[in-house]
Formats: sequence, C-alpha cells, structure tokens
Amino acid sequence: MNCHQCQKNCYSIKQKHSWWTRLTKKYRKEPLLAIDGNIALVGTPNVGKSVLFNRLTGNYVTVSNYPGTTVEVSRGIAKIKDYQIRVIDTPGMYSLVPISEEEQVSRDLLLEESLDMVIHVVDAKNLGRMLPLTFQLMEAGLTVILAINMIDEAEQLGLKVEPDALKIELGIPVVVMSAALNRGVRELKQTILQLLSFQPEPDSANVEMVR
Amino acid sequence: MTNPIIYPEPIEQAIASLENWLQSIGEQNILRHYSLSPRSLALLLLQKDPTIWQTLKQDDKQQQEVEVLLTVAENQLQYPVDLAIAESREKHARNLAGITIQTTQPAANSTQEILHRLSVNPITGFPILMVILYFGVYKFVGEFGAGELVDRIEGFFEGQINPIVNQIVAQILPWQPLQDLIGNDYGIITLGIRYATAIVLPVVATYFLMFSLLEDSGYLPRMSLMLDRLFKSIGLSGRAVIPMVLGLGCDTMATMVTRTLETKRERLIATFLLSLAVPCAAQWGVILGLLAQKPAALMVWGGLIVAIFLFVGYLSAKFFPGTSGAFYLEIPPLRLPKLGNILTKTWIRMKWYFWEILPLFIWASVLIWLGKLTGLFDLIIRGIEPFAVAIGMPPDTAPIFLYGFFRRDYGAAGLFDIQQQGGLTGNQLVVAAVVLTLFLPCIAQLQIMIKEQGLKTTAIMVAFIVPFAFLIGYCVNLFLNVLGVTL
Repeated sequence: MNCHQCQKNCYSIKQKHSWWTRLTKKYRKEPLLAIDGNIALVGTPNVGKSVLFNRLTGNYVTVSNYPGTTVEVSRGIAKIKDYQIRVIDTPGMYSLVPISEEEQVSRDLLLEESLDMVIHVVDAKNLGRMLPLTFQLMEAGLTVILAINMIDEAEQLGLKVEPDALKIELGIPVVVMSAALNRGVRELKQTILQLLSFQPEPDSANVEMVR
Repeated sequence: MTNPIIYPEPIEQAIASLENWLQSIGEQNILRHYSLSPRSLALLLLQKDPTIWQTLKQDDKQQQEVEVLLTVAENQLQYPVDLAIAESREKHARNLAGITIQTTQPAANSTQEILHRLSVNPITGFPILMVILYFGVYKFVGEFGAGELVDRIEGFFEGQINPIVNQIVAQILPWQPLQDLIGNDYGIITLGIRYATAIVLPVVATYFLMFSLLEDSGYLPRMSLMLDRLFKSIGLSGRAVIPMVLGLGCDTMATMVTRTLETKRERLIATFLLSLAVPCAAQWGVILGLLAQKPAALMVWGGLIVAIFLFVGYLSAKFFPGTSGAFYLEIPPLRLPKLGNILTKTWIRMKWYFWEILPLFIWASVLIWLGKLTGLFDLIIRGIEPFAVAIGMPPDTAPIFLYGFFRRDYGAAGLFDIQQQGGLTGNQLVVAAVVLTLFLPCIAQLQIMIKEQGLKTTAIMVAFIVPFAFLIGYCVNLFLNVLGVTL
C-alpha cells in the first residue's frame, strides 16, 4: 500500500524532510548501515507475518484480520544486540508454485534475492496444512526457521504443539510464539543470531542438524 | 540441507535425472541465476511452474529435453506428476502434525461459533450487514463524520480562518491576483486547505476508524463468503468483496489490492468497477452528508449506483470471456479488535491520505488561479456549461466537474460548497452526485491503474467512463423530469 512504500526508500524520504529536521536540530546524520544479514518472512496469508515484521523492526506495516493485507514487499531493519539485520515482509504464499499475483511477488523474491535465511511463519491452529511449504523451502536449499505463531489461539482450542519433536523430525529450528502478544519473539531473535552464527549454539549437538 | 520428503520412486528418478542434466549442462543452464537448489528447480519443472517454464522457452533444446524427462516420469506414474508431488507433501505434513500436536479437551468457545454462523448465513447475515451499514456507515460516517464534524470544522474555517486570511492577505499583498492565490474564493488556504481539512479529512477519518474495526474483527471474510453468490453472478469471486469494500475507503488502495484476485479477468473487471462505480470514502461521505436531509434522493442515488455496479459488472463478465476463480479464502477467527492496533492503523491511513491529497488540492488551487488569470479557466467552464445544462444543472455548477477532473473528492467537496451557499434542488443534487460518483478516478488511482493494467487498458476504461457518466446523468434527469418527480 502506498503509505508504506517508505520502507523501500526511506533514505530518499529522509533527505526530502531533512531541511525541516535540520531546522528543528533533531537531525543527526546516521552512519551508513552495515547489514549483517538478510532474512525474509514467508508464509500463508493471514498468519501474522506483518505483526512479526513490526515486532522485529519497529516499523509499521498495516496489519488486519484477513488474508491478503500485504500485497507488496516491505523492508526494515531489525536490531538484534549489535547486529543490523534486514527483514523483508512478503505477501502470503501457499506454495512455491504461485497462483495469484501476490504469491508471484513473494516467489520472485525467493528466486532472485540472496537471502541468508527465511522464517516460515505458520498458524499453530493449522500446522498440518502449512508444513508443505516448509518442505518446499527446505528443498530449495534455504536456511529455514519454522515460527509457529498464534500459539495462544491454538491453546484456546485445546491444541498442544511439541516444538522439540518437530525440530527433531524436520531438522530445522522451531520456535513457538505469539507475535501479537510478544510471546516467543526473544527466542526467535536468539535463534536468528545462532543461525547466522553470531552466537554459539547452546546445544552443540544440534549444530550439525541445523546447518 | 537434508531432504524433508522422499517422493514416489518414478518422481525421485525424474528429479535425479533432471538434477544430473542441470549439472551436466553447467554454464549453458539458463536457470542457473535462480538461487534455488537443483532439487527444488527439478521439482518446479516437474510441477510445470509457469515462470520457470517461460525461462526455459528461451532455449528450444533445453525445453525439449525437460519435456522428454517429464513424459517418461508421467508414463511411469500413470498419474499427474504435480498431484503426486502435492500428495506426498500433504501426507508427510499430516503425519508430522499427527506426531507433534496433541489435542487436549477443547475449551468451549461456542459464542464465537454462533457469531460465525450468524454472519455467514445469508438469512441472518444480510440483516447483520444492513445493521452494520446503518450504524457504521450511515450514522457514524454519514451523520457524525460528514454532518456534525464537517459542519463544525467548516464553520470554524468560514467563521475564523478565512476572514483573517483574507484580511491579512489584503493588507500585505498589494496586488489583487496575488491576494486571490492565497485567499478569497479560490485561494490555497481558503479553498485548497479548507477542502482537505474541513470536508475530506473528517469523512475519511471516521470511515477508516470504522473500517479498521471491521477489518480486525474478522468480519470482512465472512461478509465475502455470504456475498459470494451475488458476486459470482457478476463474474467475480467472493474474494473480490474485500477490494470493493476497501474501495469504499480509497479506490487507489483497493486497485492495488486487486492483486489478491486470482485470474487476470477478475482483476480487470474489479479494477474497472472500482474506477467506475465504487465511490471513495471522501466522495460518498460528502454525498451522504449532502443528501442526508432528503432520504428519497439518497435512496435514488444509492440504488442507482448499486444497480449500475451490478449491471456493468454483469455485462463486463459477459464481455470478457473466462471463468471466475474458485472461491477459497482462509476464514480467520473472529477476534476482539485491539484498540491500539485500530488507532494506529486509522492514524497511519489518515496521515497517508491527508499528505496524499493536500499537495494535490493545493496544486488544484494554483491551477485554478492560473486558469482564472489567463482566462483559460473560464474558457473550459464555458465548454462544460452546455453539458452541465444538458443534465439539468445550473450553469454555475460547471466548475465542480472541472474539480472532478482533479479528484473525485475535490468535486464532491465543491458540490458541498455550492449546496451550502444557496442550493440546488433535490433532483439536481442527485444528478450531480451520480455523475460525480461515476466520473473519472482521481489522479493517484489513474497512476496505479496504469501501473497494474497498462496504459492502453486504462485509456480504454477512461474513454468509456467519461461519456458514460454524463449519459447516465442525462438519463436520470430526463427520467425524473418526465415522471414529474421532485426529490
């Protein structure tokens, strides 16, 4: 949506407003950002990718309770400890073979961008239906974190997810979370740093499996 | 990375031979710039992915080789390969979910279930929609936003700001035309900024607030589900409901969201309908405010626009052959919206909308000023006057159609202004409202249309919309006169 295009070109906008910010003396030239990693949030529509994006980057992209709110790619920077990590929010996709144009946008991004990692965001309530995309992302040779979101709603429905079992079966890191309630976001950030090998893995037995 | 899935033997063989082939051709491989593993590329080829296939078409030889490999696999399987692939994945996913998810006693959540049923069933869902429209749209946006709020802010402008501006301008600027640029009838502050802040902003703000509430509650997909059948009849799937409802907020945003529609044809019809018969919040809000005192006039306008929407939708569905996509839409749970999220969202949208229109409104003021100075404005208005008169409008309404060229909401705001100054008859109001609603989309929407549909398609649409709007206006006026109806 128009209002959020600023994520793409926030620098030019900054420059545009700089005369004003300079007037108010709040303006300080930021050092050029050194990007330590490039990660994308992918997943089926309406699983909370944008909420997670807002949580990670502190930017705002529109969040709603219906599929298809995000139709364009947004980019932001997440600061995790001292690392600057570029986070890319994508329109929802059901599979690597796109049907609608929004899916095409996401798929093209996966095909053409060099990503260090993708976070596959899934809805804990419908895990079974969403795992096929996880498989496809793994098959594509991407480094994948499975973020099982909306765990609070799943719990309300009486569903209990066992992330450790899933982690062993899939061989990728699995984080259980509720982005809207800020649950599990810290664990996700840690996992991101571990996978980018900025932080030693606490359980060294997992390293082989994960990488 | 380990392979998460082992596919049936013939597919694994096909993958292996495709992988081998991809490696053997090395540098000649035109697919190598994709950052996917060979296994993934092989699978995409087996699923006949259109983009990858398109890339392959650049090289006949490579394409033929892949086709041979594909045919071999398909013959061995005796089953469409893409289905087999999808099935293996789903089976594996179900197994995994079975092992890793435990179902404990489900917490009773029956109120949600009842609410869901009520909103989806047409018998109860339609009255619910009507209640939401009445209170949310008519009462809150129409009477409170476009009535109460606009009156207050507009009154404040007319009473406090405009006289002061005019006075200051008269004192510090010695030259009459320069005074007119800032103040008086068409000035940047007295017209441009006044329209943007006093007439358009309250309407848009109240609408965005109500819409955010509906969005976050999860009501919209349920409404789509309920209206699916109606939309099918005009060649769109229920999915198109969301862009259309979004269009009632801002058509520019909505034109972008048509991307969620599946087929090209659906997108084309939806884009066309958005630009013709879906008024944006600022526009219908102002019209609602204008016609609120005359319920009969409001009904005629509303009924006519809905009828045109359905009829033109139906015709274009006939005109553009093809099928509408199957309706599948994730139905998210009904949730109690979070106040914080709603306020942030409304605020962000308002801010975006306001900064989008303010420069345009100021430019419009400047252009009108230039036009007046050079006499071009009067020339154009004299050109429009016959059309205005032909649809039964007094000649001095001609400028609002010119405003409509700049932006729909600008035109509507102009109509509001004229009505307040002295007035139009009910008939004239309806005719003007209808023509302005159907009229050209605003500049921002045009840009997005060109971006999404191409210049040619957009030009054709515009070439249809302008005469059509006036023709309908003419017919409505004629019809009302012949029947001797005064609204």
